[in-house]
Amino acid sequence: MTPGKTHDTTTALPPHRAELARGWRAGIARMRFPQSSPLEAFSILFLIGLVLIAAFADFIPGLVNPNFPYGDFSAPPNWTLNGLFGTDGLGRSILSRVIYGARQTLIIVTAATVISMVCGIFLGMLAGYFRGFAEHGVDLFANTMSSLPPVLIILALVSVTGTSVLTMTLTLGILDIGTYARITKGGVISQNDRDYVLAARALGAGHGRVLLREILPNLVPTLTAVVPPLMAGLIITEGSLSFLGFGIPAPAPSWGGMIAGSTDLISRFPLLIFGPILAIVLTVYALNTVGDFLARRVDIRERQL
Amino acid sequence: MHSSATPYLKALGTRLLAGIPVLLLVTFAATALSDLMAGSAAQAILGEFATPEQIAQLNAAYGYDLPAWQRYLRWLGNALQGDLGHTLYSQQPVAQVLFDRALVTFEIAFAAMIFSLAVAVPLALAMAARAGGRLDSALRFAASAMLAVPTFVSVVVLSLLFSIFLRWLPATGWVPFFDDPLGNLRHLILPVMCLSVHQVAYFFRVARNEFLATLQQDFIASARAKGFSTRYILWHHVLRPSLPQVLTVMGLSMTYLLGGSFIVESFFAIPGIGWTVLSAVQDHDLAMVQAILVLTVLIFVLVFALVDLGYALIDPRVEVK
Repeated sequence: MTPGKTHDTTTALPPHRAELARGWRAGIARMRFPQSSPLEAFSILFLIGLVLIAAFADFIPGLVNPNFPYGDFSAPPNWTLNGLFGTDGLGRSILSRVIYGARQTLIIVTAATVISMVCGIFLGMLAGYFRGFAEHGVDLFANTMSSLPPVLIILALVSVTGTSVLTMTLTLGILDIGTYARITKGGVISQNDRDYVLAARALGAGHGRVLLREILPNLVPTLTAVVPPLMAGLIITEGSLSFLGFGIPAPAPSWGGMIAGSTDLISRFPLLIFGPILAIVLTVYALNTVGDFLARRVDIRERQL
Repeated sequence: MHSSATPYLKALGTRLLAGIPVLLLVTFAATALSDLMAGSAAQAILGEFATPEQIAQLNAAYGYDLPAWQRYLRWLGNALQGDLGHTLYSQQPVAQVLFDRALVTFEIAFAAMIFSLAVAVPLALAMAARAGGRLDSALRFAASAMLAVPTFVSVVVLSLLFSIFLRWLPATGWVPFFDDPLGNLRHLILPVMCLSVHQVAYFFRVARNEFLATLQQDFIASARAKGFSTRYILWHHVLRPSLPQVLTVMGLSMTYLLGGSFIVESFFAIPGIGWTVLSAVQDHDLAMVQAILVLTVLIFVLVFALVDLGYALIDPRVEVK
């Protein structure tokens, strides 16, 4: 156990292996979610589980197709896999529809988030770095978007384009562009005068390099913290539109649509509404909680700087 | 009195003027919407069996064959004279229809806001005083759980509970206040509760954190040293300095309440703005959709002007410019 000996074993490994081992250990350390409360740890694990179940829904043994009847109409919940939440008015498994609905919702919301992040970060960087006209434009856009209820914006667009998964994704993608742009803009303005940016400029870095390689990495924690609550907002908006009948078109399972569908029979089969409600409330709760957790970590990090 | 109120009025005017670009952007976007329709807008609205005469008539009335900027100038000119166009099928003036519906929505939204504040602010004061206690933690968890309940879930659950199981409240419908005040109240309770699930939690959360921050201030310590009771300190020293933040949140929640009214009104069959916009979207009634967008933005601008005015009234140190 001499220091020399330890050193020998490390060098005996091929260098890339040692690198990998160290990276892996750092990854594990991060997986312990430092300073997370039990509810926060639960939320993170719930979201990981939800994504895995949604991604591998086709490989869950015994799970029936969400679009075909599998049993009695409106059968109450029982302890079989497909009957866990009961069956809907057409005899389809509600659990299966909740799971495939999760996949649909996650795909739409993730794609919309990517759209709004890419556009928002781009616009926000232009606004924060060059100020002037770009800043006024971005401010006007962000103010306008926040002055209207998200459901109304999408309804107005849907009134002319009609409903489909594609228009749903694109219109949801527009909603948060202003928010991401505003946060990026604020971040760029606060970072722009720091010494490391000055140093990069002194070394001859151009605008693109300063923005993308120097400033952007420092905005990652702040931006990451706002993603989960904004995604939760998109899930609620998407659910509201499906509930109102302007969301994902009918046969495809969606949480909002399932809740709307079960209200016709709710006085006779109140238990059948439990599944989709549980899914959407838990998902939104978990996303909000993870968002709070990340925001607190950003706060701690900022104070340490 | 007159001279002291003038700067406030001026500030209000400035804020309202600042909202004009937003208003212009939204109305122009709303006019340009019809260009997104597949094929010609008139054809899409009237359906595939429309005759050329019908299409020509619709184009003459609404100008869907003109470029967007011409349509916009025409709309803007009419709107400035108070003419927002006519509804597509019943040919009623949009402004008149909208005014009747807006009153219903405002009644519900206003009642929900008052109710939420009345529940959340005293609770938040009490919990800020015993922050970290068991009751405080329980309520904080309850608040974050309630924030995760979308309006379309609360309408279903609360109507199941109060009108199907308990049979206390009517499940659907609406009675105008001036026809039957008591009936109006009975129909108002469920929609207000549904909107308040989210609002109570939101106000509680913001207000509690704000009160807690105020409690850390030095002037609270000196008030305690003077021997005031905790209750007196909470109501007389903590409440007012914390109000600006609560006021901001009230302004922001207007947008939420209007968005929530779409769900609540369609579920309970209440003839308000939300219900109107849904049928307008179904009918491709673009004049109506546009008018509702204008109204929403106007409300937003007006509310935030009032919020700014409120800052100055609450805190004399805020300078009115």
